[in-house]
This record gives sequence, C-alpha cells and structure tokens, in this order.
Amino acid sequence: MIDRIALLGRGTLEMLAAVGRAGLFLVQSIICLPSREGLHLWLRQMHFVGVMSVAIVLVSGLFIGMVLALQGFTILVGFGADEALGQMVALSLVRELAPVVAALLFAGRAGSALTAEIGLMKATEQLTSMEMIGVDPLRRIVAPRLWAGFVSLPILTVIFGVVGIWGGYLVGVKWLGVYDGSFWSNMQDSVSFVGDVLNGMVKSLVFGLVVTWIAVFQGYDLIPTSEGISRATTRTVVYASLAVLGLDFVLTALMFGDLG
Amino acid sequence: MNDPIMIEVKDLHFRRGKTQIFRGVDLQIPLGKITAIMGPSGTGKTTLLKLIGGQLTPDRGQVLIDGQDVHKLSRRSLFKLRRRMGMLFQSGALFSDLDVFENVAFPLRIHTELPNAMIRDIVLMKLQAVGLRGARHLMPSELSGGMARRVALARAVALDPDLVLYDEPFVGQDPISMGVLVQLIKKVNQALGLTAIMVSHDIKEALSIADYVYIIADGQVMSHGTPSTLDVNDDAHVRQFVHGEPDGPVPFHYPAPDFYDDILAPAGQFS
Repeated sequence: MIDRIALLGRGTLEMLAAVGRAGLFLVQSIICLPSREGLHLWLRQMHFVGVMSVAIVLVSGLFIGMVLALQGFTILVGFGADEALGQMVALSLVRELAPVVAALLFAGRAGSALTAEIGLMKATEQLTSMEMIGVDPLRRIVAPRLWAGFVSLPILTVIFGVVGIWGGYLVGVKWLGVYDGSFWSNMQDSVSFVGDVLNGMVKSLVFGLVVTWIAVFQGYDLIPTSEGISRATTRTVVYASLAVLGLDFVLTALMFGDLG
Repeated sequence: MNDPIMIEVKDLHFRRGKTQIFRGVDLQIPLGKITAIMGPSGTGKTTLLKLIGGQLTPDRGQVLIDGQDVHKLSRRSLFKLRRRMGMLFQSGALFSDLDVFENVAFPLRIHTELPNAMIRDIVLMKLQAVGLRGARHLMPSELSGGMARRVALARAVALDPDLVLYDEPFVGQDPISMGVLVQLIKKVNQALGLTAIMVSHDIKEALSIADYVYIIADGQVMSHGTPSTLDVNDDAHVRQFVHGEPDGPVPFHYPAPDFYDDILAPAGQFS
C-alpha cells in the first residue's frame, strides 16, 4: 500500500518535473532575437515543416469538403433545405474541421518528423557538439522549428478550408445540382469574419504552438537510443493529437459557448 | 609533474541513476601536454569529459579551468569558456545538414566576424592539415568513419582553441586511419601548443602520444604517471589494463550464481 502511494508520488513528481522542463524549454527557445542567420534557418524550416505538408493538406481538405457536402445534402434535402448546404459546409470547415484536422495531419506529418530529426541529432551527439562549440542548440535548432510550426499551421489551415469549400462546391453544386447562387450567398450571409474565420485562426495558432512545442520537446528530451527515438515519435503524435482535441473543446466552449 | 596546471579536478563525485560513477576523482592536467585518461569501458571516461566541458554537473567536487569553477559559471560565461575548447566526439558528431566545408567553417562563422575569403582560407588550411581538402563538398553521410573523424578534428581546432578534448579518438578505426589519427593528433598538438585531454582505451596508441596518463577504475584514479612508469607498475588493476589480461580485478564474468548450481538447477526453477 505504502509502495503504491510512493509510486504515485514519484510518478506525479516526475510528471511535474517534465512539465517544468517543457515550460522552461519553451520560454528559452521562443525568446531569441531574430538575426539574418535566424531568418535563413527559419525559412528553411518553413519549407520542411510547412511547404512539404501542403500536399497532404490539399488532398485531405478536398475529400473532407466533398464528404461533408455529400452527407449534408442527404440530410438537408429531407427538410427541403438543400440550399443551406454552402453554409453548412463552410461553417463546419471554418469553425472546426479545418483547424482540427489540419492540426492532426500536421502532428502526424511534421510533428513526428521534427521529433525524429532532433532525436537523431541528439543520438549522434550533434546537439552536444553544438553546445561545445558554444552555440545554444535551443536557439539554432529548436527556435527556427518552433516558429516555423507556429506560423505554418495557420496557413495550412486556410488552405485546408479553402480547398474543402471548393470540394463541397464540386459535390454539392456540380454533382448533386444545388443552385450555386444560393450555395454561395447563404455561405456569405452566415459566415462572419470575426466570429467564425478569426476564431478558427486563433484555434489554429494555438494548435500550431502546442503541436510543435510537443514535437520539439519530445525530440530534445528523449533518451538517445533507437528505442527512445521510436517511443518519443509515438508520444509526439499521441500527445499532440490529444492536446489538439482537448484544447479544441476548451476553445470552442470559450468562443461559442455563450451563443446558446 | 612540474608543468603549470591548466585544469584541476578536485574530489569529483557523480552518480547517474543508482550507479555511482565517480567517488572522489582528483586530476591535474598540465598545460600544453597531452594527458590520456584511460580505463576499462563503462568507467565513465566520456562522462568525465562532459563534466569538464560543463555539460553535466557533479554531485560534489570542482572542475577548475584556469582557476575558474566550470560549474559555477553562468550559461553565458560557460559558452564563452567553451570557445577556448575544442572537442572531438567519438561519433564525429558532424552536422548532418552541412557539408564538410561548412562543418569546419561553422565555429568560425559563429564566433568571428571574419570575411568569407578569410574563412575560406582558414577552412582550407585546416582541411589540408587533415588531408581532406579535396573532400570539402562531400556531405557527412558520404564520408567513411575515419574521414568523418578527421573532419571533426579539423572542426575542433578551427578556432585554434587552448584545450582540446578527445573522446575515444581511435575507436573503430582500421589500422591505416588509426595510424593517421595518431600522427595527426600528435602533430596538431605540437604545432598549436594545445593542452589535450584524451579519453581512450586503445593502450598502445594512447601511450605512444601521451605525455601523462591517468588510469581510472571503480570511480577513482587507480594510478597515474608517465607512460614509461605505468609500463612497469605493479598494481593489479594497472597491470591487467595495460597488458590486456582478460581476468583480474576487473572480472571476466558478470556477477552470477554458481555455475555448477545454475546448470544443475531442477526444471521449473529456471530463472
């Protein structure tokens, strides 16, 4: 019994220590003065983290928009409300699906890659040798990746949303024959810039920070063995996905909770 | 030893998890000499280098470099001190996203304001010294183990440091690159007048270039002296290590129950 309590205590202490380390890590790496060198490193990471994720975001966005239109049409047409299809597709994408699904894809595509990359640098002593040369790896390795993730996820979310709406248009208007005037005008009437678009962007900014933070921290903090790297990569995807879904509920409650 | 002392390690204690790695290590590293730190695998030689470089903090004891306590320095002063150190890692630890030239140029670009033309000249000089000027455009993944370590050596001395730490420089090298590295380390050290600490268990190679040797086992300094005095040392630990005897104070067998009992254990009691 005493052993179990001790175990629980130790587990809690270890968890708190990890949270503390992760917090310090975030503060130390995010506060760094931008330099020309830093800008160059950041641009390169924008390419790896952001541009390389565009393909998966385009394809997923298109399919999600098409499925939304198909499912929405079969339900709405029963109420004779099929011209509200545009509004339904756009609102679900802008408020929820674009930020959340883009963040989940981002965690799988870019987050795991970041963890593995930094972990491998740690395992091959590159981080240590950088420290011995007198360069802070938090600045040189972690900060550009953190900023790249933070900036690129909102952009990917916008791309996801736009492609998704286009997919909805293809299925709803071109295939199922919804009148395209009502498709677009209903959308225009019901989607507000501040209430919906901006709130969706705030969500994706938060997700961008959290997912990249988890990914780079897991890479930096892992045990430098092949098993350690594989575990940390898995942890990145699991923790990041759970964090995104949990935070999504909290943010939705804060943003839209008082509407009803 | 009458030479001036550059680094002093006093009463160093360090534990990792439940293992006590060092229990009171005292070392004096003379200025401008090659000091070899030797000992069986797993005695924490690399850990010792990391403690000297300030990457790990000891539980007790001090590391003084030119009188400064490494572990009492602020992060900023520590990084400043490290500019005077070069370190050669066991794996080479070249940055995998930069080519050979940029790897060697890295410390110069970070710590100096030199114009590109001058950086180029310095890098080519360092690469020429390790015989790899022609390999400057290769990526680290295209190098053999020995070449990677030579590039790492060029990078370690790029800033003309006062102190170079070598972590197992000869491990896993074929005889040719081993010979090349031994010569290079000796030559570089003499030419630049460096203080060097070399952690190694390649006895022949290390003894051939070291000016002074410490042997570490069981978390303590077992013996120290010049290579010639160690050769005739009577201590059982030193003899086993220097002459490579399979059994001795460092046992051949990992602790295990009696062999006879183990073999004859009745079925169902296997563990």
